[in-house]
Amino acid sequence: MTRYLLRRAPSALIVLWLASVLIFLVIRAIPGDAASVLAGADASPEVVAGIRADLGLDRPVVEQYLHWVGGLLTGDLGRSYLIGGDIASLVADGLGNTVALTLAALVFAVVVALVLGPLWASTRRAWVDRVLTGFHTASVALPTFVTGVLLIIVFGVLLRVLPTGGVPPDGLFARLDFTLQYLALPALCLGLPVAGVLTGFLAETLRSELRQDYVTTVRAAGVRPREVVVRHALRGALPVAVTTLGLQTGALLGGAVLVESIFAWPGLGLLVEQGITRRDYPVVQVLLILSVAVFVLVQLLTDVVHAYLDPRIRLGGTS
Amino acid sequence: MKTTLTRRALFTALGGAALLLATSACQSAVDAQTSTGATSAAPKAGGVAEVGVNIDLVPANVFTNSNASITTLVGLVYDTLVRYDLSGVEPKPRLATEWKAADDGRTVTLKLRSGVKFHSGRAFSSADVKFSLQSYADPKWNGQLLSTAKTITGIDTPAADQVVLHLEHPVANLYDLLETVPIIDSDTAADIGTGKKFVGTGAFRFEEWKPNTELKFTRNDDYWDGKPYLDGVHVRIIPDAQSLLAAVKSGQVQLARGIGYRDAETAGTTPGLHATNLEGAELQAYVGLNVTAPGLEDPKVRQAVAFALDKERIIKEVFRDRGYPTSLPWPKTSPAYDKDLDGRYHHDVAKAKSLLAEYGKEVPEIPLTYVGNDQVFTAIAQIVQNNLAEAGIKVKLDPVDSTQFVKQLIGAQFPGLWTTNHSWAQFTPSTLTVSAYPFNARRNASKFSSQTYTDAAEKAWQLPANGDAKAAYKELSNQLLDGAFLAEIGVVFEQVVTRDQLQGFTWSKRRELDLSKAHLT
Repeated sequence: MTRYLLRRAPSALIVLWLASVLIFLVIRAIPGDAASVLAGADASPEVVAGIRADLGLDRPVVEQYLHWVGGLLTGDLGRSYLIGGDIASLVADGLGNTVALTLAALVFAVVVALVLGPLWASTRRAWVDRVLTGFHTASVALPTFVTGVLLIIVFGVLLRVLPTGGVPPDGLFARLDFTLQYLALPALCLGLPVAGVLTGFLAETLRSELRQDYVTTVRAAGVRPREVVVRHALRGALPVAVTTLGLQTGALLGGAVLVESIFAWPGLGLLVEQGITRRDYPVVQVLLILSVAVFVLVQLLTDVVHAYLDPRIRLGGTS
Repeated sequence: MKTTLTRRALFTALGGAALLLATSACQSAVDAQTSTGATSAAPKAGGVAEVGVNIDLVPANVFTNSNASITTLVGLVYDTLVRYDLSGVEPKPRLATEWKAADDGRTVTLKLRSGVKFHSGRAFSSADVKFSLQSYADPKWNGQLLSTAKTITGIDTPAADQVVLHLEHPVANLYDLLETVPIIDSDTAADIGTGKKFVGTGAFRFEEWKPNTELKFTRNDDYWDGKPYLDGVHVRIIPDAQSLLAAVKSGQVQLARGIGYRDAETAGTTPGLHATNLEGAELQAYVGLNVTAPGLEDPKVRQAVAFALDKERIIKEVFRDRGYPTSLPWPKTSPAYDKDLDGRYHHDVAKAKSLLAEYGKEVPEIPLTYVGNDQVFTAIAQIVQNNLAEAGIKVKLDPVDSTQFVKQLIGAQFPGLWTTNHSWAQFTPSTLTVSAYPFNARRNASKFSSQTYTDAAEKAWQLPANGDAKAAYKELSNQLLDGAFLAEIGVVFEQVVTRDQLQGFTWSKRRELDLSKAHLT
């Protein structure tokens, strides 16, 4: 397994380096910079030029890139142009919120998929199939800004049973019951498309597994239909589902940008959205490279889990 | 009959019990947020006001009135030396109780209020006035009245309660500066830029800022104008306009800033909610013209643009009648407002066509730049495009994002037309022409240069106390109307949506929130 990991590591590092160059250049290709935002609409060009010089934006791009990467390698993430604080503490503040939201969405998606996937694959009732097909289509097709607003209107404004947004006033860890209520709508909104995708994949893979010879043998041995699905076919379907889950984690991180904005959830997504809008280069660069790193890591872990679940992969690699 | 407890039944029972326990121990987060405050309708001390704003703080911009978070923070934490009534520009005492200008207008003596303390407990004195005015004059803080602040050549502090300002020349808008500059604590001023500390003498103490999340304030028990009713103010950052509207509808916030005009109109008709115009703190919507763009170099074409605009329609449809159309930049409360002059550019397509005919050439297609993710200015741009097409001018829409827009505005980089808001016309008229960049006579986004306009602007600015202000402002208005480098659409008001529970809130001319007398019912 270690050799397998070592074989995958160089490509991960190359992806990270290429991503750092791309992120650095793309954010600077957007017209306007933080100096304009800081100066405001009534500032003179001299004031703007002074701010640009203070921020180091008048230096050559290569110098700015090397300064940034050098800082990253020494653990100095830099300072936000607009918020004023150091990025490490901003990331630390936002990370907890984003992790909590993403995990909650992930748990929701996995639970939904594990319940509905096997049910959809094994059902013989037409109405169940129609309902689950409808759920799958709606959850995948509806954009999060639509489901987000709908959830807020229904549960926050009409029924008034859940907060419309924000985080618990005393923090995430003060009261679990408050935290769950504040998390419910954004997690549902973020997790719904992933739940739909996972359910669809799991059901399809399970159907394929259920057509395998070993399942016929298990059935012939008199094992109950539910156990055939849950104990036997599901095991065969899991590696594919785990890979899909890994890919969907990336989608979750991307989706968090919009969901955090809709639900005023102060995580990294909201930070990156604000950063892009206001050209806060250091913040955007760090957050994007961080998300690439997380994505690369998740992919790596997914491959490892996949290899663990399916020995043919790691053995095939070593032959 | 033998009864056996199966594993499934055991788990079901345990799960049910756990759920029951969790439900009974669980308090509704919605109830917890919406049940603050007393139940009486009379002013009563206590409770924390929940405020929602759509944009976060930029600490380096705290000396500008550039967004709702900043104006909320400044209004709660800081005081100024004087305060204008919302109906005009007559200074009223705040931290300065008396003032007297010398006959030549170059020296102004201020008497300061005694017994005022900063939130740190330190006594306020003349040294703090000197420090605050000098800080504001530092270009790094981007103060919009920088040119006026720079006319102060010396500040004497002969006593703890007395300040003497020496000016390079008389300035008509000195009290605008004194109404604008927040009095800051010199001991903690270095922490303003990082958002760690905001220490003033205002009704509420700053406690905490969590970027993209919230701002917390507590009552200043030593406030010189009486202890506030509210225990504190909790400002939540809610960037999405629909979520902000939902938050005020659901009662999670009692005051919301940043809700669109259409939504505010709907909210205003909802029981328990009110939409308030921030009157006296007017904004003006306008169309700017780059006078070096092909076609727009001729004043006749620019005037044709002004005649072609259907201002009434824009005010009615886009701003939902929360304002009124104008030709002049001044609101009706301004000393420069002139009803006769203000009617000069009314919607008249025939007149616009006639001016274009006098021009005698075809006007090439003109780009119209605006902030594309701003629904208000997207709608205005579309109406303007339609209006100008009726007059015979082709317009190409050019949506950009807000940062790019500001860069183009500051750098005078708009290729043709643009549309946005301007402020400062609600103050002394000369403030607009020396401070607001679109109007700045020396250098402006339109690249408009005219010695007569510059002279009129300087004259209005350096007007001595006994000068003929009315004549000076009339000349300035005429220059603006003739030059037509900015086509005004109208005066509009920011909308604040509140719930019935919050009473007694008010605001300054810079749209700064004042909750010093507010209470929860």
